[in-house]
Amino acid sequence: MMELDVRTDERGIGVVVPRGRLNMVSARSLRDALDTLVNDGTHRIVVDLAETTFMDSSGLGALIAGLKTARQAGGDLRIARPTPAVTTVFELTNLDKVLRPRESAEAAFDD
Amino acid sequence: MTEGHELGRLQVNGHAQPEVLDEVHTELEQLWETTSEVSMRDRMRFEMGLMEIVGNVVEHAYRLDQGSAARVLSVSVTVTDTEVRGVLADNGLPVEVDLGDVTLPDPEAESGRGLAMALASLDHLEHARIAGCNRWTLVCERSAP
Repeated sequence: MMELDVRTDERGIGVVVPRGRLNMVSARSLRDALDTLVNDGTHRIVVDLAETTFMDSSGLGALIAGLKTARQAGGDLRIARPTPAVTTVFELTNLDKVLRPRESAEAAFDD
Repeated sequence: MTEGHELGRLQVNGHAQPEVLDEVHTELEQLWETTSEVSMRDRMRFEMGLMEIVGNVVEHAYRLDQGSAARVLSVSVTVTDTEVRGVLADNGLPVEVDLGDVTLPDPEAESGRGLAMALASLDHLEHARIAGCNRWTLVCERSAP
């Protein structure tokens, strides 16, 4: 049970907002959406996790896959505003170093 | 055996297919509503462990049984004043699990973190093959309020 909003902002940055649970079922949609963005030429992507109530290892895998695809295309994938449950997953897997949470989707590519 | 005075429980029976993940998750959220004294931290720990193990069972059902609808999964969760305990049983092919050998994969890996996450989030995780069923036992000891 997840809704996925995908848009490209005025700077050409892809903004992906998963709403609800990011689990084995919905991770596939996220993976496809990230692939489509990169294939269509959007190489800088921010995933706004403010409304992601839960994320499992499949969701994490989809983010890592998206990160690799974006970097291979010369871009990057960043995450913003993770909820406490999602932050715990990043910390527990030591991936908070690889995907450092940003304070907002708008400022995710400021550095 | 469950430890402590029982405050609530849930039971889900279904086919080991991806749809069961949301069914179990929704039931668990409803259980938390009736057992509001369980801390947010304990809820998150148990939820993470439970959903990883349910996901693991569903994934193996697809890989080993070619997505056969024959694999049936039962999930029960009991909340007491001292712990949250989950028991999962499925009638699928025997799964070889060595929980002593589970580590986190390379940061770039796209899979293989589920059991490590479950082990890290729970206080006790056990897999056994009992009477033709894979049986998982998960325990989160409740922290003091």
